Amino acid sequence: MLALALALLLHAGATAADAGHGAAPPAPMAFVPPAPGSYELMRIMDAADGRVLDTEGRARDLSRYTGGKVTLLSFVYSSCADAAGCPYAYLVFHQLQSRLARDPQLAGQVRLVSLSFDPVRDTPEVLALYAGDQARPGRAVEWAFLTTASVKDLLPILDGFGQDVFLDVDPASGAHLGTYSHVLKVFLIDRDRTVREVYTTAFLMPDMVYNDILTLLMETGAKPE
Amino acid sequence: MIRTPPLSLKRAAIAVAAAAALGTSALPRADETSCSPFTPLIMGQEEFVYVWTLGVEGVGDGSDKLVTVDVNPKSKTYGKVIASLSVGGRNEVHHLGLSDDRRYLWGGGLDSSKIFVFDIHSDPAKPRLAQAIDDFVEKSGGIVGPHTFYATPGRMIITGLSNNRDHGGTTAHVVYNNQGKHVQTVPIPTAEIGGVQGDGYNYDVAINPAKNAMISTSFTGWNNYMMDLGKLVKDGEAMKRFGNTTVMWDYKAMKPIKIFNTPGAPLEARWSWQRGDNWAVTTAALTSKIWVFRQDGKGEWQAHEVGTIGDPAQIPLPVDISLTRDGKGLWINTFMDGTTRYWDFSDPMKPQEVYTKKIGSQVNMVSQSYDGKRVYFTSSLLANWDKKGADDEQYLKMYHWDGKALKEGFTIDFYKEKLGRAHHMKFQVRDMSKLKPLHAASDNPESLRMAAGTER
Repeated sequence: MLALALALLLHAGATAADAGHGAAPPAPMAFVPPAPGSYELMRIMDAADGRVLDTEGRARDLSRYTGGKVTLLSFVYSSCADAAGCPYAYLVFHQLQSRLARDPQLAGQVRLVSLSFDPVRDTPEVLALYAGDQARPGRAVEWAFLTTASVKDLLPILDGFGQDVFLDVDPASGAHLGTYSHVLKVFLIDRDRTVREVYTTAFLMPDMVYNDILTLLMETGAKPE
Repeated sequence: MIRTPPLSLKRAAIAVAAAAALGTSALPRADETSCSPFTPLIMGQEEFVYVWTLGVEGVGDGSDKLVTVDVNPKSKTYGKVIASLSVGGRNEVHHLGLSDDRRYLWGGGLDSSKIFVFDIHSDPAKPRLAQAIDDFVEKSGGIVGPHTFYATPGRMIITGLSNNRDHGGTTAHVVYNNQGKHVQTVPIPTAEIGGVQGDGYNYDVAINPAKNAMISTSFTGWNNYMMDLGKLVKDGEAMKRFGNTTVMWDYKAMKPIKIFNTPGAPLEARWSWQRGDNWAVTTAALTSKIWVFRQDGKGEWQAHEVGTIGDPAQIPLPVDISLTRDGKGLWINTFMDGTTRYWDFSDPMKPQEVYTKKIGSQVNMVSQSYDGKRVYFTSSLLANWDKKGADDEQYLKMYHWDGKALKEGFTIDFYKEKLGRAHHMKFQVRDMSKLKPLHAASDNPESLRMAAGTER
């Protein structure tokens, strides 16, 4: 219902407020992405590894969350207010989770990972709240919300993936303002932990990401409906 | 203790919806000459200009070098060379390209096929060589002459100009990752596509993510670009071996979708980033023609010859171009007469030359600031194509542009400073934390709408 309301709201060019009910057609994409399996995704680099914490506070290797399934991984922080950053990735992930769940053959072969780059504030407890129902066990498409125990644990992971993050500071005092500047990057990782695509906001289009996921699954024999 | 309100789905949707509803009118879009839309751009005052400089025997140490110029008007060393980093030897260095995070600057040598990766974030005032890649030919499968360095997320697309089989023009795009490892080699088409025969030549590349479109142009192979220009123009057979095509690609699939006949070495390629625009532009060096590539009503890309630069019979040799942030104006340099020409592109199908100024005896590269108020020029084309004797001026010149005339800001004589031949330029600032790519934020409203508004 929320989605439909927002579609109407967007169509009218209004500000974000309560809107009426009704169906609004999806906005057309600027292009039709190539069909799944009609192209090959590059093998860009190995996915970085490191120590992370799940929402229960258990220490894990990140590699546990990047192998065995096709994985879409994004660096986020829960208080991010940049609409084209974390919130946008969150919505794209949500949409993909819903869409993939409709095909039981695919759902179990795909994983979503949101990894915080704010270990100080994004504790496992905060991330559990941030995740909400998305991370509930038993969801057809797994969505893991992860953080790290310290900046020391986080930095090698950020460096390994090439994710820039800047701390926003008060120019006068130099104090951290609690926000971060970053260019959103989302990583598509195959079952063998190889990064096969990197998306920024300019190219993070839900239909195209979906097709890329199918393309990777088809490499190992999947036949999407 | 929980101090941060969690980001609910509703909160995320509202934030994204608001951004999409706002559109892009308040958001900056920039040229910065030829930066990839995936690279964070400098919207304000650039503080440093890096100049990829060819070493000249008997000038300084004679080696190629990355020259750093302070261009912060508030600095005591404004308009001065503040660093010079020699890479040793002469490689026929040519173009530079910023990485997708603007932390590194890649530069190539057309003769040696070596690639140099500079760290420009640890101390932007004093770059250091972070990596030298000397296996480009081997890893790419025989591609020679790394030219354009165009960042895509996590990667660098490098256009090759030649090959090691015959040193002709048949070549490829070569993709490296940000760690400097070869990822893929993508041949330029030599087959016929859509009734036009591919020639396999390559030069520049530019991507429009919103259209999933990538355009590539064509120049010539090692045999020609390393030949003395005076000798080359008298060699009828050699003059036949220039690229005559422009290729439109499906960027996602990295597959050519259409080849256009654009005779006479179409060189630099630029997309207009003005909202609603769906065109790219290039200029052909040997025919002096301006070509615009635009989608027709059916979404198919079509090529249009829209203008002639100077007198083609005199071969003014249009070289570098720079499109303004709104796609309304195009700087075109003509090497032979040392002149820059400003074309009004308000109607890209009928552009008009409205201003000219002689910059020097020869002029090659042009780079403008985001706001278009500062325009930088350098002089060198290729070591064996630059003019001889007194006409071989080598410089970096900065001008102020008020929309009507160029007013000189400063000039650095690269021979007097014992540096060499000044070629490609890139800008940098000390604080990169607030820089955003061209299409960041809500510059992609269709995707934002889809993500916020629908469940498929």
